[in-house]
Order: sequence, then C-alpha cells, then structure tokens
Amino acid sequence: MFEFKIGEELAKPGATGGLYDLVVIGAGPAGMTAAIYAARNSIKTLVLEKSSLGGLAATTELIENYPGFPEGIAGAELMDRFQKQARRFGAEIIEFDEVLQIEPVKQGLLRARTDSGEVYEARAVLIATGSRPKKLHLPGEDEFYGRGLSYCATCDGPLFKNKDVVVIGTGSSGLQEGLNLLGYAKHVTFVEFLPYSPAEKILQKRTMSHEKSTFYFNQQVTEIKGERVVTAVVMKDRATGEVQELPTEGVFVYVGYAPDTKFVEGQVEMNKWGYVKTDGKMHTNMEGIFAAGDVRADNVAQVTVAVSDGTKAALAVREYLAVL
Amino acid sequence: MALLNEEIRGQVREMLAELPDAVRLVVFKKPEDCSYCETIEELVTEIAETSENVSVEVYDFTQDQDKVAEFKIDKAPVIAIVGARDYGLRFFGVPANYEFTTLLHGIQAAGTGKSIQLDGATKDYLAALDKPVHYQVFVTPTCPYCPGAAVMAFDMAVESDLVRADVVEASEFPELSSRYNVMGVPLNIINETQRVEGRAPATMIVEAIESSL
Ligand SMILES: Cc1cc2nc3c(=O)[nH]c(=O)nc-3n(C[C@H](O)[C@H](O)[C@H](O)COP(=O)(O)OP(=O)(O)OC[C@H]3O[C@@H](n4cnc5c(N)ncnc54)[C@H](O)[C@@H]3O)c2cc1C
Repeated sequence: MFEFKIGEELAKPGATGGLYDLVVIGAGPAGMTAAIYAARNSIKTLVLEKSSLGGLAATTELIENYPGFPEGIAGAELMDRFQKQARRFGAEIIEFDEVLQIEPVKQGLLRARTDSGEVYEARAVLIATGSRPKKLHLPGEDEFYGRGLSYCATCDGPLFKNKDVVVIGTGSSGLQEGLNLLGYAKHVTFVEFLPYSPAEKILQKRTMSHEKSTFYFNQQVTEIKGERVVTAVVMKDRATGEVQELPTEGVFVYVGYAPDTKFVEGQVEMNKWGYVKTDGKMHTNMEGIFAAGDVRADNVAQVTVAVSDGTKAALAVREYLAVL
Repeated sequence: MALLNEEIRGQVREMLAELPDAVRLVVFKKPEDCSYCETIEELVTEIAETSENVSVEVYDFTQDQDKVAEFKIDKAPVIAIVGARDYGLRFFGVPANYEFTTLLHGIQAAGTGKSIQLDGATKDYLAALDKPVHYQVFVTPTCPYCPGAAVMAFDMAVESDLVRADVVEASEFPELSSRYNVMGVPLNIINETQRVEGRAPATMIVEAIESSL
C-alpha cells in the first residue's frame, strides 16, 4: 500500500556542465522522451525542470490509455520509468530550476538562464514546457487558492477525506481526478458549463454511476465564496438564469490548460493562445530551437502524442547537429 | 514483506554511504490510534540496514517522558533525524511516496551538517539569526511539489541551530492541519503566524521569517 520514491535531484546533484548538445526545457513526457532518444544517440543532453519530474502526467492518479500497461499505471510511476530510461543512457536531469530565458548567442550556441542564476550552454534547445491549469478568473479564486480551492486533486485530495467537494469542469481531466476524489470524499458534485460532458465515455460512465456523485450541466460558475476558507460555489443556470449556491469545503478546478511560454515571447513564433508553432519535424521559426508536446500549437494533449513529438524532436536535433 | 525493493535499497545505500557524521533516526510511536507506527519503524529499520552510519531508536510517546522532553516532541508518530547534534529535523507521519525523498535528504543533511541547496546569501542570513524560528511544512505523500518545500526547511534547520523544521504529513494530523487551515500542499508556516503557500524560493521564506520576528 505504500510506495517509496527517490527524487533524483537528491541522488545526483548538479550538472556536469560544459557545452551541451541539447538542453531540454521541461521534464514531462515530451522532454524525457526526447532525452531518451537523444542520449541514446550520444547527444550530450541536459533536462531542466522548474518543478519536480514528470510534468502534468505525474500529477494524474491513473493513466489508462498509454499502451503497454493493460491495467493502467499511476502517472507518477510512468514518469519515474521515463526518467530512469533517460538517465540510463546518460541524460542529466536537474529539478527545481526554472528556465527564465533562452538567449541565442551565435549559430550553434544558445544559452539558457535559470532561476538559480545558472547559465547553461547548448548547441540546440528543445522547448517541452507543456501547459498549466487554467484559472477560472472569478471572484474568490485567488483568495481561496490553498484554502479549499485546488488545481491538483492528486496532491490535495487526501486533505478532503469525508468532506463534500465540488469539481468544476467535466472534461477527461476533471472526471479522471473526480474519480480519484470519489475515493476520499463524502460526496463529489461536478459542475459543467456545457450541456454535456466532453470527457471520454468510460470516465463519464464511472463517475455518473457512482453513488457519491451529483452532476450539474449548463452552469456558469460565478463566484467562489468563503470566509477564510471555501464555503460555497455559486453557479447560474445558463438556460433558466436560476442562481444556486452549492455549500462545499473543497473546490477542484479542471477547466483546461494554457501554455507556459511567456519566457520565449517575442522570440519563437506562437499562435494567439501562446502555443508554439512548429513544422512536422518540430522545428520552430528559430534556428536551433525546437518544441514538442502540449506546448505545441494544434496538438492533442495526450502522453502518447507528447512521446511521439519528443521522438521526432530528438531526431530533428540529431540531423541539425550533424550539419552544424 | 520488505517495504523497500532491492533497487531502492541500492540507491539508498549509495546515497548514505559517505556520511561524515553518524545519524540517529529516533522514532516516537503511540500505543493507540496509530495505524502506521509499525510501518514507520519498519521503514527506518530498512534504511539503517543499508548504512553503517545510520542507527534507529524507538520510543513510546506516552511512556518515555525523558526522551519526549529531550527531543521536544509534541505529537506522534514522528522521526527525529539527529546528526552530530540535534539540528531540529522532524518528520511527522509516514514518509511515503514522494516524501521518502524528504526523509533521505534529511538524513544526508543531518549526516553532513550541511545544507544541499541554499545559496551563500541565505546561509549568511541564517547564521546571523538571533531568535528562534519554528518552520513547519505541511505535505501529502502524493504531492510532487512537496519535497522541494520540505527539503528547504531541513536545509535551513541544519544551517542554524535556531531553526527547527517540522515536516508534517497533513492527512495524518487532521487537527493540526485544521488549526492552520491546511487545504493545499505544500504549505509553509513560519513561527505559527506567517503563511507561505506552495514551494517557495529561499528569499520568500527569509522574508516570512523576517516578518515573523
Ligand atoms: C488530470 C490530468 C489527467 C490526464 N490524464 C491523461 C491520460 O489519462 N492519458 C494521457 O495520455 N494524457 C493525460 N493527461 C495529459 C498529459 O498529462 C499531457 O498531455 C502530458 O503530460 C504532456 O506532456 P508534455 O511533456 O508536453 O508537458 P507537461 O507534462 O506539462 O510537462 C512540461 C514540464 O515543463 C516544465 N516547465 C514549464 N516551464 C518551464 C520552464 N520555464 N523551465 C523549466 N521547466 C519548465 C513543467 O514544470 C512541466 O514539468 C492528463 C492531464 C491531466 C492534467
């Protein structure tokens, strides 16, 4: 029933330094796959991660559609395996250091500056920074973040044992994590803006048939209420205009994701939502800079896709380095 | 069945092989209402088996009053991580899953008497402290961001004898968690009054310490 994990920032502190062939930004599935392929091709690779390893995939309780794991696998466990595989071929990975800037120095030389003040030099850079949960932008949201409002059920779910919670958003992420909450909470109420859930059918079936769940559709959430801590979610029926208050101790927000690309704004070309544009081989408009995974424009946010992107990016990097 | 598989044991052995100072893992159990006390004892015993430098002592929170006083323990279960001296490193609850990293870091920090990731300015600040700091970090085992926060607390505690670092598995201490309204992790509480949410850089923790003094 217990698992024990060793975070790699402790096992192997620091990078060996020097000039890297490839610096990968982000240790989610896209970044780590690229690191596996690159390192196995003797490309000297460093992965920089602002948080802990695994990206969004590591914050999901169970992944059931990644081929090869017929029973499903915990997101954190799957990412741990990616990481081991990358290290086995010699990739270096540093956690808890955010890349703040990529600076092109000259052809074949880029610098990545990080939050800790380090500067890493590389011949090529891969942006695999994924996306992060979108906010509701509603009254009460910031005030009650960490006081009942959360964007990570896997992290904070255990604090809501036998409590009533609300999940806002019934896409696949919301329902997957709602299912996880149904294991702890007294009752889980799901609130959706659309008249239906856009999630995978299997997740709909499991959550909707659960004895501890209630669903509201076609509802606009207008406010998170509380007094020091969350006490209620206010929502308005989009058809009838009826306003209703749902008393609750916890609110979990799953209303989609937005890319983390501020740090390269004005450099690499993006679409209007901030997703990075690439060609089919993962080149961005800037020489030596590649992008892969959820951060890419018009992509499907799935681990399998991130893995495929990471593979293509590593191969494109190899080609690039060969002619440099 | 062993809690740690061969692979993890191997990694632990490597990490704890060269500690300059001996480390004592001092566990306080409770006779009642402690589903995980045995797990904690088993876990630290398995860790100690991997390294000559690490030993285990087990006490009863309700019986061994002198030890409770010596290590200033106010709740159980807890592991006090004690190096060349008691730097004030405590882990309350089971250090499972991601929190296993926190425990191992604590052992390394106590066994070297050195922080791993603090910069010079932060160390200078801590060295000049003249008032006590009670630094609590609330975590859950499934939270990937939590070890980063917890490790910061342990690092600061080894750098200053005035800093005590309590890492608390929030779901195992519901009363304490509700006293501080812990509804998201990691949560840092400095001197009972300053609240820093999430994994924060050292400069933010230092600011919180300043405001609390
Ligand atoms: C709740 C939930 C459930 C999901 N369930 C499934 C599922 O069942 N099946 C499935 O296939 N997919 C699922 N997904 C989607 C899947 O997790 C993502 O598609 C996948 O993680 C994308 O990988 P990525 O590597 O592109 O980005 P991410 O996983 O987002 O990783 C990006 C990494 O980059 C880091 N980063 C960002 N900016 C910087 C910076 N400046 N410097 C350094 N590091 C940085 C981030 O911290 C992060 O670790 C789920 C997602 C969520 C949230």
